[in-house]
Amino acid sequence: MNAAPAINSAARAGDARRVGVAQVLVYELRVRDAMTRPPITAAPTDSLRAIQHLMKQHKFSGVPITENGNLLGVVSIEDIINALDRGYIDASAAGHMARNPVTLREHFSLVRAVAEFDRHGFGRFPVLDTSERLVGVITRGDITNCLMQHLERRAEEALAHEAALRAAQVADEKAQRVVIRARVRTGDYDSAGKLSQRMRTVLRERAIDPEIRRRAAVVAYEAETNIIIHSLGGEIVATIDPDKVVIEAADTGPGIDNIEQAMEEGWSTAGRLPRELGFGAGMGLPNMKRCSDKFVISSDSETGTHVRAEIYLRKAA
Amino acid sequence: MKTFREVVQAEPLTDQVPETITGCYISDLLSDVLARIEPGMLWVTVQVHRNVVSVAAMKDVAAVLITCGRKPDAAIIAEAEEAGIALMATPLSTFEAAGKLWEAGLR
Repeated sequence: MNAAPAINSAARAGDARRVGVAQVLVYELRVRDAMTRPPITAAPTDSLRAIQHLMKQHKFSGVPITENGNLLGVVSIEDIINALDRGYIDASAAGHMARNPVTLREHFSLVRAVAEFDRHGFGRFPVLDTSERLVGVITRGDITNCLMQHLERRAEEALAHEAALRAAQVADEKAQRVVIRARVRTGDYDSAGKLSQRMRTVLRERAIDPEIRRRAAVVAYEAETNIIIHSLGGEIVATIDPDKVVIEAADTGPGIDNIEQAMEEGWSTAGRLPRELGFGAGMGLPNMKRCSDKFVISSDSETGTHVRAEIYLRKAA
Repeated sequence: MKTFREVVQAEPLTDQVPETITGCYISDLLSDVLARIEPGMLWVTVQVHRNVVSVAAMKDVAAVLITCGRKPDAAIIAEAEEAGIALMATPLSTFEAAGKLWEAGLR
């Protein structure tokens, strides 16, 4: 088992300056974070056979020999094979262990531990604390497991962070919503365009594209004049979000007899006064539809006319 | 060379009047103007109602030329001033104004 591929795979190919999470982790994490503790040890008086059983039971290839917590040596699988071969498997560990084994300190970084594994070719190292006492054993597998666990935790943290960002963005967009509401009275020609103007001011402040701004203004203005000219009165609501404006116009009647006809350019039922003022071109509804990204109209004599128009504020890429 | 204002004998009604226009649209129907005029154009009309200012502002027209010697109320001129819309008046009829602009090369 080699920890190096796990480290390299996290670094993106083709981006030399990018430092992968795993690369940061091998510097941040310490031997104490990855090692197995407490270590399984044997006493110098234990027989090599007993140590062989210990190895078999735990699937180890080496066992530290300690006395009062102090590391005396290591018995490796090779020592056991030699003992079996030469017939001293019942002898005690004291006479056949490797003394002064290479150790790691618990505060070493994992990158240093990996380098020590590469240098010595051992399968495991005893780990000592600052007072020279044995506190654990570390293998390459321990390092890989530790890295994988931390990578997983980082990945989960990153996902949680992303979700939180997205939630904040949604909340922010909601907070940016501006709703402009205006009651519109029949025959109040002087008030035509008031809502449209307030809406345009908001859109200009938000640096919306002028062409999109003009379209939204036309829709609002035509909605206002339609209610003034044709209805018994009504209300217009413009809801401005970062991505779109929704203009909803509702009147209390009398409704449109034939919507299809009303949507035709040039068809108008406006009376003499509005026509003199320049209204009644028969282009109001067609203009609204043309300037909207979404346009829905419904009407009946009971509930009046309802128009919902959406104008998208972000230019299509 | 005459400016377009001289060509149509325009009297500025607002402080700011433009030197140049990109084209011209003539209509007295507001929705028609909303549908067809482009930003930067001159709008020629006989309408003097305050909705002229609203429509002009909405479409970012360069200026509004009111024909037949008609003039809007002072209140409407003030509104245009506030909205940054240039208003001009001419004694010419819409037909005459259009003819002179065309003659002068405006297309």
